[in-house]
Amino acid sequence: MSAPSRIGEVMALDRLVHEPARLLILAVLANAKEVEFGFLEQVSGLSKGNLSSHMSKLEAGGLIEVKKSFRGKRPLTELRITAAGRKALADYRQSLAMVMQELPVPGAAVKRK
Amino acid sequence: MAGETQERLGELESLTRDYARYSRSAGGLASALGGTFCLLSYLLGGLLPLTSMLRVALVALPLVWLLARWGMTQRYYQRFGHVEEQESAVERRTHRLGLGVTLAVAVLLTASALSNGAQLSPGMAGYLALVWLLVLAVWRWLRSPLDFVVSAFLFCQASLLCVDQVYPVIGTAAAHDALPMALLALLFPLAALLMIARGVADHRRFLHLRERLLQLRGNAVGEA
Repeated sequence: MSAPSRIGEVMALDRLVHEPARLLILAVLANAKEVEFGFLEQVSGLSKGNLSSHMSKLEAGGLIEVKKSFRGKRPLTELRITAAGRKALADYRQSLAMVMQELPVPGAAVKRK
Repeated sequence: MAGETQERLGELESLTRDYARYSRSAGGLASALGGTFCLLSYLLGGLLPLTSMLRVALVALPLVWLLARWGMTQRYYQRFGHVEEQESAVERRTHRLGLGVTLAVAVLLTASALSNGAQLSPGMAGYLALVWLLVLAVWRWLRSPLDFVVSAFLFCQASLLCVDQVYPVIGTAAAHDALPMALLALLFPLAALLMIARGVADHRRFLHLRERLLQLRGNAVGEA
């Protein structure tokens, strides 16, 4: 593959999904029907504010649904991935695998010289 | 994305799936408790004279078990936050089948009890109430086949007790009069033993999972 088309593939990666924190959120949500905010906070190691900000971006992009309610007096936030979110994650994985396959191995390039 | 990130994502995915099991299909110690209750109900109901204390205790067992199961899920197994398990198409079909069978039996029993024209005795009313509670429990909480068998026994034994009957235990005089039923009822203590073994295995798996979750939190704090 030529260099420009390789760059094209990298540029074509979904930026909304590509960001590591958002990718992590999507990967967790894709493996459950519904996930409470507290669990995501636990496994991601992100701060509440940071997590909320990424959540809002994913929600605005239609990749996840956020449901806010109360359990007693405690606010409860539950998230679930949408069909579009599942598709975006699957497409991203596929594109990324292609890009990784096409990337030259630095060691191999030196050897050829 | 580096291989390390891929690896971390893979671990998080497997961790989420494992943890989500405890919202529905894995009961852990609650399953072991259900199996123990099932054995107790079978043996005590079939072997001991039915005093009113024993009767009340055995009728209460299925309700105590459902409450304990719910409490353990909320307070112990899902204490890092509720994560609901995804249901496969096969699991959904199995659940619908179990619910359909239970519902059909409940409708038949109710129709038969009401068609006699006689007034419902308090015992029969209790019997029917427990049969319909089983339908509710199957619909709302019971997802795995073992959960279904064990809770069906607990509810059926409790409802039989309301009309002065119990499942006969092999070797007793009652079993001589109803041998096919006694043989069929042997299925329940066997399912109970399986459920205890599965519950203990699930609990051990959870302890390992909890370690991994606490490690993640520790790492996050370290990184911060």
